[in-house]
Amino acid sequence: MRKLRTRGKVTQPGQSPVHAPPRRFVPLLGGVATEPWPENATLYQQLRGEQILLSDNAASLAVQAFLQMCNLPIKVVCMANAEYMSPSGKVPFIHVGNQVVSELGPIVQFVKAKGHSLSDGLDEVQKAEMKAYMELVNNMLLTAELYLQWCDEATAGEITHARYGSPYPWPLNHILAYQKQWEVKRKMKAIGWGTKTLDQVLEDVDQCCQALSQRLGTQPYFFNKQPTELDALVFGHLYTILTTQLTSDELSEKVKNYSNLLAFCRRIEQHYFEDRGKGRLS
Amino acid sequence: MAAPLELSCWGGGWGLPSVHSESLVVMAYAKFSGAPLKINVIDHTWRGSRGDVPVLTTEDSVVSQPAKILNFLRKQKYNADCELSAKQGADTLAYIALLEEKLLPAVLHTFWVENDNYFTVTKPWFASRIPFPLSLILPGRMSRGALNRILLTRGEPPLYHIREVEAQIYRDAKECLNLLSHRLGTSQFFFGDTPSTLDAYVFGFLAPLYKVRFPKVHLQEHLKQLSNLCRLCDDILNSYFRHGPAGTSPAGQEMIDANLRKLTQLVNKESNLIEKMDDNLRQSPQLLPRKLPTLKLTPAEEESNSLQRLSP
Repeated sequence: MRKLRTRGKVTQPGQSPVHAPPRRFVPLLGGVATEPWPENATLYQQLRGEQILLSDNAASLAVQAFLQMCNLPIKVVCMANAEYMSPSGKVPFIHVGNQVVSELGPIVQFVKAKGHSLSDGLDEVQKAEMKAYMELVNNMLLTAELYLQWCDEATAGEITHARYGSPYPWPLNHILAYQKQWEVKRKMKAIGWGTKTLDQVLEDVDQCCQALSQRLGTQPYFFNKQPTELDALVFGHLYTILTTQLTSDELSEKVKNYSNLLAFCRRIEQHYFEDRGKGRLS
Repeated sequence: MAAPLELSCWGGGWGLPSVHSESLVVMAYAKFSGAPLKINVIDHTWRGSRGDVPVLTTEDSVVSQPAKILNFLRKQKYNADCELSAKQGADTLAYIALLEEKLLPAVLHTFWVENDNYFTVTKPWFASRIPFPLSLILPGRMSRGALNRILLTRGEPPLYHIREVEAQIYRDAKECLNLLSHRLGTSQFFFGDTPSTLDAYVFGFLAPLYKVRFPKVHLQEHLKQLSNLCRLCDDILNSYFRHGPAGTSPAGQEMIDANLRKLTQLVNKESNLIEKMDDNLRQSPQLLPRKLPTLKLTPAEEESNSLQRLSP
């Protein structure tokens, strides 16, 4: 496997990883547009079976769906220290040519610089709507997922801690899990979610799903015939919520109330994942 | 609804009823929905120290964040969104999320973190309105809270440093302003001719940025180039806040005008109906109405006839 030119070391399973600071992401200029999309582009995420969490899985699936919609081949590689390899500390990230780009927003811009875009056909007002709905998903759904994973004691204790620390030996697994939990709780407090109860969070999720459902209506995709990055993002989050088992089913129940969202997820899964033979969604 | 609703918020300046974004959002929504709010300015008191401004107090409850206050007002039947469709309601939520994610960090930075602005404008303003010992502590605390929020939501761990995110947040904020401007287009408010929740939020976030005089102004300059957003803020200020935060007369006047308009429409409809009925009656084949005109004419003729009959 090719060595990545990043500061975080690539480790094989079984070795203890180096807790190295990630490299800063330098904005791409100039020569990006001239190189075509290579065949060996890779997407890195955490270990699918034992380690990856709900929110990270949602983000990773959103990027995979987006690249499938753009018809760009991508190989998914699961590494235990993907979070530390990423330039911004967030998964997933893609390694294309000699560039490393993380998170859906920058990846969409990167792909656009390469000449592929899903939202070119939209006018200015529709683009504004698309960006607004993407922020809605990030603001409400993603934050609710983080809250549920890290701030809800039952889920955090039973599932999250165990999964997050699973590749590491004792006591590193506990230390890293508590450190991450502290970081997430700090963020929740800063944005005003620190005082929310689980019921209020679930109500927010319901409101968000209702808004998405009303916007989708009876159309196949959010902007009628063609999927855009908004569809990829919504699919990533909703599919993960529907298919992940947590301590209770309340979160997935909130999504199941909206039949057009369920049909939407099924449609994208069939069209972009099963038909292409790429199979295997987690 | 009979219970008095009291809103505690920061005071005003530079032509605005309040300099604090969240307080402005709640005040604007209250004006749009006709809720009778008693504004309780917390300047020169110790109330600001609890940090959860604005706060809505009623007889039996205390509600603290803008989203929760707006929900509470809606439950009390003060709803500014009753004319919106379901899709427009969904769009409102989405655009509010866009404002909070993309615009708020830059607004917080302009007010509280940018050194020139903070030390020459924001800090003196707040310090002059907070009683003595607290005025040394509270502005600093608010500034640190703002910085914290920006770094935790936009910074990249573990190198949390403001320089790296400044360029990004201002770029995002300018993009957000452009998107809002495209969405508003040439209409008076975001969803037609009546203001709604989204207009309240946009007004709350943009008006301080638009009106307050800062030394470092590149975001303000960008906003001033988007004339439709500036026009929206000015319209709302002139129509709803003409007499300042204490008076409810502009809103009251608006409601009276609206009621008068509705009444005139009803009266017009009624009179149209009466005219139509009258026309129908005249055109229908009945002898009686035709007799009436002749009867009217005959008294004079009859008199003259009778006179003539009498005379020969």
